[in-house]
Amino acid sequence: MSQDIPDFSNVQGGSSSTATKIYEVVSGDSLSKIAKREYGNANEWKRIYEANKDILKDPDKIYPGQKLKIPPL
Amino acid sequence: MHKIYILGTVAALMLALNACGKKEEPPKPQSTPAPTSVPSPVPSPPTAGVTVVTITLGNAIGADKKVTQAADTFGKQDTIYASVDTTGAGTAPLKAKWTYLTSGKETTVKEDTQTIAPTGPASSEFHISKPDGWPAGNYQVEIFVVDKSAGTKTFTVK
Repeated sequence: MSQDIPDFSNVQGGSSSTATKIYEVVSGDSLSKIAKREYGNANEWKRIYEANKDILKDPDKIYPGQKLKIPPL
Repeated sequence: MHKIYILGTVAALMLALNACGKKEEPPKPQSTPAPTSVPSPVPSPPTAGVTVVTITLGNAIGADKKVTQAADTFGKQDTIYASVDTTGAGTAPLKAKWTYLTSGKETTVKEDTQTIAPTGPASSEFHISKPDGWPAGNYQVEIFVVDKSAGTKTFTVK
């Protein structure tokens, strides 16, 4: 009798680090959306913007493929 | 008179032959064509410096990303954390692959990757949770650095 494999389709996961992370922008992203995902707080988008001022001239303009530094909280 | 003439002719002939010989240049060695320069690839940030030191499991972590109390047995409603301590500097993708073990088979539960750029010792964490509770049984989490296994930890849900 074969053992049924449980359903793991609803498993949720996440990750974080004390080190700076590198995040590659995908279509549909915004700094606030990234901040919400990485920090749990969309208002932390300014932290991401400050860390990436060398490549981001306008915080409202990010593009797929850009690699952003996500500093730790 | 004849002798002088003959000697002169011979001398002239010898001079001529010598000159001819001098005109002949030794064969030049075949030159190897210069290799076509290939543009060097843009070096990627070094990743070999990031090394996993420890992997610890628990059901809670602190602000330092380390588990508050190590455990290898969890309850069905627990969020399960894997804390990964690294040393070294560089940029490296760190991946956690969680699997459910049963009858020698492995079922992937979740995979998660985060690219870290530490400048020294760092701690990272991965966590999983299941709204309707974990099935009882044996599980495993394997940690990869740049797609190379850096260690596994097994745990049980009861």
